[in-house]
Amino acid sequence: ILKGQRYIYSTRLSGDSEQHQGQYYTVPPSHFHTVFPHGLPPRYQQQVKTFNEGCVMVRQPALELISHLKRADYSKPTLRYLLYGVKGSGKTMSLCHTVHYCSTQGWLVLHIPDAHLWVKNCKELLPSSYHASRFDQPIQASNWLRNFRTTNENFLSKIKLRQRYVWTKRESTEEGQPLGELVDMGVSRVKSSSDVVGAVLKELRLQAGGTEGGFRLAVAVDGVNGLWGRTTLKKEDKSPVAPEELTLVHNLRKMINNDWCGGAVIATLSQTGSLYAPSSAYLPQELLGEEGFDSMDPFIPVPVSLYSEKEFESCYLYYLDRHWLQHPHSQTEEGKKELIFLSNRNPSVLERLCAFL
Amino acid sequence: MAASLTGLLKPWTPRVLLVRWSRYNPYYLEPEPRKEVYHIPETELTPEQKEERELKSVRPIKAATNSVTSSVFNDPVLSKFVNMMMKDGDKIIAKGIITQTLENMKRKQVEKYHKAPEGKKAETECNPYAIFHQALENCKPVIGLASIQKGGKFYQVPIPLTDDRRRFLAMKWMITECRDNKHRRTLMYEKLSQELLAAFSKEGNVVKRKHELHKMAESNRAYAHYRWW
Repeated sequence: ILKGQRYIYSTRLSGDSEQHQGQYYTVPPSHFHTVFPHGLPPRYQQQVKTFNEGCVMVRQPALELISHLKRADYSKPTLRYLLYGVKGSGKTMSLCHTVHYCSTQGWLVLHIPDAHLWVKNCKELLPSSYHASRFDQPIQASNWLRNFRTTNENFLSKIKLRQRYVWTKRESTEEGQPLGELVDMGVSRVKSSSDVVGAVLKELRLQAGGTEGGFRLAVAVDGVNGLWGRTTLKKEDKSPVAPEELTLVHNLRKMINNDWCGGAVIATLSQTGSLYAPSSAYLPQELLGEEGFDSMDPFIPVPVSLYSEKEFESCYLYYLDRHWLQHPHSQTEEGKKELIFLSNRNPSVLERLCAFL
Repeated sequence: MAASLTGLLKPWTPRVLLVRWSRYNPYYLEPEPRKEVYHIPETELTPEQKEERELKSVRPIKAATNSVTSSVFNDPVLSKFVNMMMKDGDKIIAKGIITQTLENMKRKQVEKYHKAPEGKKAETECNPYAIFHQALENCKPVIGLASIQKGGKFYQVPIPLTDDRRRFLAMKWMITECRDNKHRRTLMYEKLSQELLAAFSKEGNVVKRKHELHKMAESNRAYAHYRWW
């Protein structure tokens, strides 16, 4: 690696060629608000704001996913990909990289930033009007619909509904109306927003593989192990709520089933936000549990490892170039060896170390 | 007392061994945490260093405290500041606040750097450690006041301060200023980073307090001869 050579990143790099492994590619600033209103990790968002640009490292798991997506047959049932790895190894960033690739290729992206947010800390839990034993989460559903609207503006007018949906005695959405109307209704009428989410997912599932409409659907779920497990929510008689009893979780599980075609499901395991899971667990079997593993089976596992030597070098040079490593000793060889020792090449630990050095 | 005991010192170990205790028999030597000292080959040692090495092979050495590391990023002034911030012995929280402060300062400065025009880029100081040290320098008073009794009354007499006392006062003022005089809902690292950045550019309440102390000392010049040391 020659010092002073600005090979590490450039705006001309597209994110999906094999030979740029280890190098950074820049996400154009306009894409941040449209593609990622809610998907990026918070520390990465801070980094984007500080450096005034968003650079993502091209890593092996994301490249593997993208090559699978390029070669998959979309007339067959959907393939499910599962990213797993130790805490802080870059699963969410790989997912965001893939989501960005999908949106540049013109796919419709359904990005759920963290499934754990739907099974914990819910202030309002309304009993569902559609199904007696289920519960609605109006705030989470309306937030998600708002972000969904920002992500997929151009698809909202093109997709037409194939079924009539009745919300109350006076309100209903007719067949043939564009999806945008449904989403707007869900955002404004907060009480029925969870059912609107269910309707949106059903419509997209039906129309994804269609030959006349012809769009591809990417379902990206972060923290998918939250869908099977326990929740911290309680009913009014203090008995615990099972995840099946939540409308949002029920509909999302139907989405992750591979009984539709014309798209892909990319999921990430996450221990950080998970409930009742030990902090050393990172393998799919441990985090998904029996029920989850049986529902996800068969899936394509994609392991996300810690930085290799080349990737660590690239990250170190990137931070140097962006004037992020300011301590005079961190720019020497000894400081670099110490960083490798302290972080064990773990991406998030390295980021937190370099933050104050 | 230590001076008289040194003659009677013999290499002894007490019945109860003291570990992690700051009061040692003066016979014990200080530990050397820096790595560079041990990498000097035999030939390049000065006579004093050779003597020191021989002494270390016979004398016992004090146990090193937890805050002293052989890391290149070890900073004694910063460790002192962390110890002063610490409440109830909770060093983890104090160290966490300081690291967040450094990160916050660096973020603000790096943002300014990236948005500045080409000419001004070299002027913005991005290194949080440099800012911290410079801010502390700007807060250190040159002269202090002591309360001396003469003829039944107490006079505020200007006295010279040692380096340690000056550093202590600067750190103490910084911490009390951040704890007391800021908005209740801001977090400590935010308050500290604002105050340190202000002190770096010689504005802010701590530098004002230093100037007021200097003015008081200047106005009490007449009592300077009350000092007898």
